[in-house]
Amino acid sequence: MVGIVVVSHSADLARGLAELAGQMAGPDVRIEAAGGGPDGGLGTNEPLVREAIARAQDGQGVAVLADLGSSILTVRLILEDEDDGDIRLADAPLVEGAVAAAVMASADGSLDQVLAAAEEARSVGKL
Amino acid sequence: MSASSDQTSAESRATLPAGVDLHARPAADFVRAAMRFPDRVWVAVGEREVDAKSLLSILALGAKGGTELRLRAEGDQAAAAVEALADCVVNLH
Repeated sequence: MVGIVVVSHSADLARGLAELAGQMAGPDVRIEAAGGGPDGGLGTNEPLVREAIARAQDGQGVAVLADLGSSILTVRLILEDEDDGDIRLADAPLVEGAVAAAVMASADGSLDQVLAAAEEARSVGKL
Repeated sequence: MSASSDQTSAESRATLPAGVDLHARPAADFVRAAMRFPDRVWVAVGEREVDAKSLLSILALGAKGGTELRLRAEGDQAAAAVEALADCVVNLH
């Protein structure tokens, strides 16, 4: 199955969202949290993100959801080193994107389908 | 549950069990059921019809327990798809 990585400046936010998405997607999808900076406070920790991506990868690809600013920049930097295209950053709101992506992954969706489900969050309202 | 179909399109109706809103886990279960078919599938409440494979669209429907859902599919397995989705709906918990 496609794996999911949640990157946030906040370890609590990443962990909580991974838990929420996991409850909707069930136990079969690898959903990894990479939150917080190197000192444990708010921030972005590149090695932590790389490790989370490696844990989420089971050969079907990984969709990364990130919150803002340096989280996005860090993921883009990591993806520059990856040229096989099976790790991709979703251009999507974090919460809705991660939940939609995780459920699509749980339905055995392809990486393209998982990314599309996440990015649909830009246009589908809550009401 | 009732169904009608021709070669490539089919429709059915199913009512959400009392007390089971089409939110969170039930909506995810519904999407997983829809994703088992290659066909295009839709679910409608009232005048509003959305892609049955789109979790976020389904959540936005806000369908409450006891609501009748209209199911529609187009594709080679359309009849099987609406039948499976109707079965999924009535068994949500």
